[in-house]
Amino acid sequence: MRRADDVYVVGCGMHPFGRDESVTGMDMAERAIREALADAGVAWEDIGYAAGGSDVSGKPDTLVGRLGLTGVPFVNVQNGCATGASTVLTVANALRAGEASLGLAVGFDKHERGAFHVSAARYGLGDWYAETGMMLTTQFFALKTRRYLYEHGISERALAMVAARAFRNGSHHPLAWRRKPLTEREILDSAEVSPPLTQYMFCSPGQGAAALVLALGDRAFDLCERPVRLASLAFRTRRFGSFEVFSPWLPPGPHRSPSVDAAEAVFRTAGLRPADVQVAQLQDTDSGSELIHLAETGLCGHGEQEALLAAGDTDAAGRIPVNTDGGCLAGGEPVGASGLRQFHEVVRQLQGRAPGLQVPGAPRVGFTHVYGAPGISACSVLTV
Amino acid sequence: MATRLIDESLFESGAFGGGSDAGDPPRLVGARCSACGTVVFPRQDSCPRCPDGVMSARVLPVSGRVWSWTLQAFPPKPPYRPPSGGHRAYHVGYVDLGEVLVEARLAVPRAEIRIGLPVRLTTVTAYQDEDGTEVLTFAFAPDRDGGR
Repeated sequence: MRRADDVYVVGCGMHPFGRDESVTGMDMAERAIREALADAGVAWEDIGYAAGGSDVSGKPDTLVGRLGLTGVPFVNVQNGCATGASTVLTVANALRAGEASLGLAVGFDKHERGAFHVSAARYGLGDWYAETGMMLTTQFFALKTRRYLYEHGISERALAMVAARAFRNGSHHPLAWRRKPLTEREILDSAEVSPPLTQYMFCSPGQGAAALVLALGDRAFDLCERPVRLASLAFRTRRFGSFEVFSPWLPPGPHRSPSVDAAEAVFRTAGLRPADVQVAQLQDTDSGSELIHLAETGLCGHGEQEALLAAGDTDAAGRIPVNTDGGCLAGGEPVGASGLRQFHEVVRQLQGRAPGLQVPGAPRVGFTHVYGAPGISACSVLTV
Repeated sequence: MATRLIDESLFESGAFGGGSDAGDPPRLVGARCSACGTVVFPRQDSCPRCPDGVMSARVLPVSGRVWSWTLQAFPPKPPYRPPSGGHRAYHVGYVDLGEVLVEARLAVPRAEIRIGLPVRLTTVTAYQDEDGTEVLTFAFAPDRDGGR
């Protein structure tokens, strides 16, 4: 592909994740957007195309009332955990199609405390499923993790190693929510939520916002000293035989995840291999999910995770740094913002200006992965 | 005490009259695709795997093995309906019935629960209606005769 057709990230902004009762979802989104615009050195009036996503905190396009009524096309996205990636995909495709040369993607959310509220009908299920106490995302993650550990001979300690690394990374990151390092013992001994997963192995629904300014071709190099190229982005829904949340039944295995399909597609399009990745973001709704996603995306083989974690290979200074900002475990998961947080962190890493721990050696290839209900995944490869 | 099934469509019809407490627990009914053999639960009218088949009712096996399990330690938010005494931690899991894995409450003590445990279909009380009727849902309990 010629540089003229490539899409680059030229600015990013983020409102700190966590809990702050003094701001609304829209407030945080506005702040993230203004920061991204300033980072790119452009004005809202320069944006020719925009997409925004929020699960529960309002219609993103109404932000034009705060930012300026420029008439800009603004697409609203509501795509679960893939919301952020979907906004990037929407804007990138619009730029490539010639709609504009400068675009903006924003995501935000502010959730209630505790497990997400769910409606059986919204997922096409009978009331009995929720009434009998089986419609909980936490159960699904535990059931999938239990089976995965069993099939691949991984110990529960590996789950604690994932969380310990997340909180360690989060403790260095000014935008993270959970900034207190925890030992593996503390994580294993925390309250049992759904075994094998304990309280500190789960992320919490929180709040936050993130925004990116995207530019096409030469415009990116006019605006930015070190634009980050969106080498590829792939979004997939599940195929038959995937093991998903809110499934009253499953076919007998093998079970294949949409994460596998999205990762294969994104590496193929980018012309790179998982082994080329120097900084990665993986969906870590819980420790077990990250463990599974490490292998599903091809960053390691199934069953290799425990040795990888024990050797420190996924630490910021390791061979495959994962969730250098602490991921969802340290940041919480404001659904609409979470995917763009991943982009924010990887872009800043590739530009050598990570807000927290910087991956040493000037990494050139970054990777993001999200996975959500019921059976969606989006992956991206970012390069400098 | 009056009882009823939580949702008749999940069970074999006529197998369990309201108020009866005799005999075997009502069997689960899913659907099977005439073209590819995929078995689903609960029943549905189209096949999730292939476009060609006709789905017909399929009574599911009553015994299988625990495929994965966990504990629901905290009380779920509504629309979960706790039993009359309030929420008590309960096990849930997938049971491998051979042709399909079914998600269910597991009436299995913590000391016994493990992947591979032979289990058999039963019912447990989910909650009570306002008039005191016990509302039953399906579950699996250790199969003392199974797994030999």
